[in-house]
Amino acid sequence: MGLILREKAEYLGTFRWMEVFLMETLARWVPTTPEMEVKVLMGRHIWDSAQHADALGKRTFELRAPLHYTLTPLPPYLDLMKELAAVEDTPGRIQVVYDVLLPAFTARYQEYLKGSDSLLDEPSYRVIHEIVNAYDRMRQENEALREQLKETLAFDARLAEEWRRKEAAIAEIVPRGTGATLAAGTHA
Amino acid sequence: MSISARRKTVQGIQLCADPAREACFHIAQNDSEMRTFDDAMSETARRERLHRHMNNEMGALEIAAQCLADFPDAPWDLRMQLARQASDESRHVAGLYRRLRQLGGHKGEFPIGNFEWAVTNMCDTLAARLAIQNRTFEAGQMDLLGALHKFWRSVGDETTAEVLEHILADEINHVRFANRWIRTMVQEDRRLLLKVATAIRFLSETNATLLAGNPAAASDNTKKHAALGVNVEDRRHADFSDDEINEILKQAGMSTFVAAKGRA
Repeated sequence: MGLILREKAEYLGTFRWMEVFLMETLARWVPTTPEMEVKVLMGRHIWDSAQHADALGKRTFELRAPLHYTLTPLPPYLDLMKELAAVEDTPGRIQVVYDVLLPAFTARYQEYLKGSDSLLDEPSYRVIHEIVNAYDRMRQENEALREQLKETLAFDARLAEEWRRKEAAIAEIVPRGTGATLAAGTHA
Repeated sequence: MSISARRKTVQGIQLCADPAREACFHIAQNDSEMRTFDDAMSETARRERLHRHMNNEMGALEIAAQCLADFPDAPWDLRMQLARQASDESRHVAGLYRRLRQLGGHKGEFPIGNFEWAVTNMCDTLAARLAIQNRTFEAGQMDLLGALHKFWRSVGDETTAEVLEHILADEINHVRFANRWIRTMVQEDRRLLLKVATAIRFLSETNATLLAGNPAAASDNTKKHAALGVNVEDRRHADFSDDEINEILKQAGMSTFVAAKGRA
């Protein structure tokens, strides 16, 4: 990938959008999901995604972009995220977050690390490693919940597979060349 | 349509429609539908207290989450506080549910009410929602929790007392950040003062109307609040000024304790 400094800020700004999207999606789903245990899981993970967005937003500032610089992903990815955020049933929502988004975001983060430099960009590596480790914990907590609710919730594995396939089919998500260091910061 | 924009009518008052609940729960629309007990610390009454508290914490989680959903342009540091609050309230629900099950209870064992959600989400500004939920309801819960853990200890239930003490510590932080942010937001836009005052008046009028149909409950609530007192020490931790605390003491009929330290 071989990213230049400005492009690194653009990637991290887009990752920040993804974390804010996750936080807001979970926040919208908490009052509209009936199962108490699911509300509790989502409520706890709202705080995880907020911390991830915060760490990424501070790192963008260190890369000469605005503090909490946030870039909306390219339209095909944005459309897919909107489609996933519109899911209404509880099993579908759980699958969207834990079977689709967290593994997909992990792959995007790992792709970024491949194109960066672990010495020169070490602070980004640390932020991303923290995020990916937290994702592992979040998914384990999700597995424990599914075990607990296995009598009441039925999951459709084919649906999750279809969403994963759609996500993976979108190669480019970062609006590159937008000039992060020149752009005004956007609130998220 | 956002769930906070949906409406229901209770005794002629328009309120925010209930958040989603499992079918096992019976949602009460006023106090008279809730279970009450002559012996407030009987085994069944204890489970009802935990069950009611668990649902109140679920409501607090939902309100904090809905603030994140409804106000995407709020300052990032405030959104971080709301996200943290959502996580704290989630832990409270889980902790109370664990204790409820340990005492032989279960979800849906008693009726529940969503009054805080129904009133708070009628406000269209974040400052007003913080004033109602965090600064009023949660601050009131600080008063309650400051006394309740002693009641549980007095009947030998150290485990529940511990749960309540941990919840109280978290609630102080929620009230404190709300107090600080309301001040900041009002300083930046004085028009918000009117929004906050209108929200408080709406809460007061709604309370009065709903309790008017149930004078016994109104009288009982007043007596209970007077007996519990005002948690002055924790209100100071939560950044209430001495003037504000004095006003709360006066409203609670405790003028003689004004400016006194500790629990009144």
